[in-house]
Amino acid sequence: MRGLPVYVLLAATVTLLAYAHLLNSYWMHVAIIAMFYGILASSWSLLAGYAGLFSLGHMAFASLGGYASALLVQWYGIPIPFGMAAGVALCCAIGGLIGWVCLRMSGPYLAIFTLAFSEIVRITFSTEDQVTAGMAGLHTEPLFHSVSRLPYFFTAFGLLAFSLAVMGAIVHSRWGLFFRAVREDEQAAAASGVRVAQFRILAFAIASGFAGLAGGFYAHYIGILTPSLGSLDLMAVVVVMTIIGGMERIPTAVGGAFGVEILQELLRAYGQWRLVIFGIILLLTMRFARNGLLTPLWIQFVRLGEVRSVPPPPRDVGQEGSRI
Amino acid sequence: MDYLFTQAANGAVIGVIYALIAVGVTLIFSILKIVNFAHGDLYMLGGYCAYYVITLLGVPPLPALLAAMASVFALGIVLERLLLTPLYAERTERKDEYGLIVTFGLAFFLRNIALIAFGPFPLKPPSFSSGIQRLGNIIITNDRIFAGGAGLLLLAVLLYFMNRTIWGQALDAVSQSRDSAAIVGINPGRFNSLAFGVGAGLAAGAGALIAPIFSLAPDMGVSSNIQAYVIVILGGMGSVLGSILGGIVLGETEGLFTAFFPDPTRALAYTNAFGVLVLMIVLILRPTGLFGRRHVRME
Repeated sequence: MRGLPVYVLLAATVTLLAYAHLLNSYWMHVAIIAMFYGILASSWSLLAGYAGLFSLGHMAFASLGGYASALLVQWYGIPIPFGMAAGVALCCAIGGLIGWVCLRMSGPYLAIFTLAFSEIVRITFSTEDQVTAGMAGLHTEPLFHSVSRLPYFFTAFGLLAFSLAVMGAIVHSRWGLFFRAVREDEQAAAASGVRVAQFRILAFAIASGFAGLAGGFYAHYIGILTPSLGSLDLMAVVVVMTIIGGMERIPTAVGGAFGVEILQELLRAYGQWRLVIFGIILLLTMRFARNGLLTPLWIQFVRLGEVRSVPPPPRDVGQEGSRI
Repeated sequence: MDYLFTQAANGAVIGVIYALIAVGVTLIFSILKIVNFAHGDLYMLGGYCAYYVITLLGVPPLPALLAAMASVFALGIVLERLLLTPLYAERTERKDEYGLIVTFGLAFFLRNIALIAFGPFPLKPPSFSSGIQRLGNIIITNDRIFAGGAGLLLLAVLLYFMNRTIWGQALDAVSQSRDSAAIVGINPGRFNSLAFGVGAGLAAGAGALIAPIFSLAPDMGVSSNIQAYVIVILGGMGSVLGSILGGIVLGETEGLFTAFFPDPTRALAYTNAFGVLVLMIVLILRPTGLFGRRHVRME
C-alpha cells in the first residue's frame, strides 16, 4: 500500500488533536514549547543540514522576530498577527542581508560571523533597556485572553504544520536539490548551473523568517521577553535537538526537538545534569552516528507499506550451493 | 589623563591574557584545520583548576598555575584523541562541519558540567602577590603586573618553542602540508595531539592568571571565546605572532573604548559589542582575516 506513512502520520496527528484537551496544563505547555522548538530545529536543519550553512545566529533571529512583533504591537497597537508577520518580514530581510554579506565565507568563518551577529543583537537588546526593558524583561500582549492553553496549542500546531509544509515543499522541489548541491560542493554546483549566491541568500532568508515566526509566537505566548532568548545557550539547545534527531532531514530534526524537549521534562529531577547528558549524547551522536539517531527509524518508517521491489530469491539456491 | 593611562595599563595586561587564549585557537586551526569552539571553556577549566589546587591542596599560586596548565594540557590531549580523530580519516565527509559541531557540543558539555561541579557563584582565588604599585598617579595592582609578566613569559616560551625547537618546526611543517611532513618522517597524528594540548594548556594558563583579577564563573568562556576569534581574525588564522599582536591591540582598544565611550553606564556592555563589530567588518572585507597565511586554508 503506497502512502501508508502519510496516513499513519495523519491518523496520529488527528488523534493527538482530538485528545489534546485531555492534556493537563503543564504537559500542554511542554507540547507548545516542543512545537516552538520544532519550528526552530526544522528551519535550522534547512539552513545547516540542507544548505550546509552552519549558522549560530538562528536564535538571534528568533529574538529579533519576537522583539519586533512585541514592540510594534506595543507602540502602534496593531493586531498581533500583523506584528508577527512584520517580525517575519524583518527577519527575512535581515537574514537575506546576512546571507549576502557572508557569501564568501565558508564553514567556520560563517559560524564565527553569525555568532558575532547574535552577540551584537543580544548585547544591544540587553543594553538599550529604555526600549526593550533589558534583562528585566519586556511585557508582551498575550495572543489570547483565555485561561486555557488550548488556543495556544492549536496555534502552535498550525504554525508548525504551516512551516513544515512550506519547508517540505521547498526541500522536495528543485530548490532542495540545489541547496544540497551547494552544500556538497559550491564550485561543482556553480559549474552545473546552480546560482550558488542566490540560493545561499535564499536559504538564509527562508530559515531566518521561520525563526522569526517562532520567536514572534513565543513572545506573545510567554508574555515576557528577555534578551536571553537569543543567547548562545538556547542556540546550543537547538543544535543539540537538530543533531541528535538528524540534521539532514526536516522530520528527524522536528523529532529531535520533540524528543529532547519531552526528555527534558521527564528528567526534571536531574536538574542541570540533563544538559550534561544531552551534551554527551550530542558528542556520541557526532562520533558514532553522524546522521542522527532518528534517521534510521525515519527511513524505516518511510518504507512502511512499500511494495517489495526486491524479487524473491530463486528456489533451490540453498540446495545447489550445498551440492557444489 | 591618569585615568586614561591606568586604562591603557590595564588594557595591556588584559591584552596579554587575550593573546594567550588566541594563540591556542590559531595553533589548533593551523594544525587541525578546525576552529575550536570549546577554547574559552578550556580557559575556564584552567582557572578553576588553579583555584582548587590552591584552596584544597594548599599549593602556592605559582606552582598551581603550572599544575593547571599541565592538567588541562593532558585533558586536551585526551579530548583530541576521543573526539577529533575522525578529522584525520579519509572517509569522513565535510570535516569542517564535523569539527565545528563537535567542539561546539564539547563547549556546551564543559560549560554545563562546570556549572554543576563548581556552582554558579563567582569564585576568586588568592592573589599571586597582593598590594599595588604606584607610578606617579597611575595605580596598578600587583596581580595585574604579575599576570602581564607571566603571560609575556609564556608567550616568549611559545615563540621560542615554535621557532627554535625541532618540535616547533615539525608543527609548522604539519601546518604547511600534512602529506609532505609525513614523507619526511613526521607523524602528523602525534602533532595533532600536541597542538591541541599546547593550545589547551595556554588557555588554562590564561584562565589561572586572570582568576585573581576577575573572578571565575562557569560561563566566562563564552565572551573570551568570541574575543579570541576577534583577535585571530584580526591577526590572521594560523599566525602566532599576529595573534599576540592582535591580542594586545584588542586589550588596549577595549580599555580605551571604555574610557572614551560617552555614556559610562553602557560603556562596559558595548565594549564587547565593539570588538565583535570589528570582527564582522573584517570578515566582510577579507573573509579569511586580515593577515591570514596563504597556506593555512580549510581542507
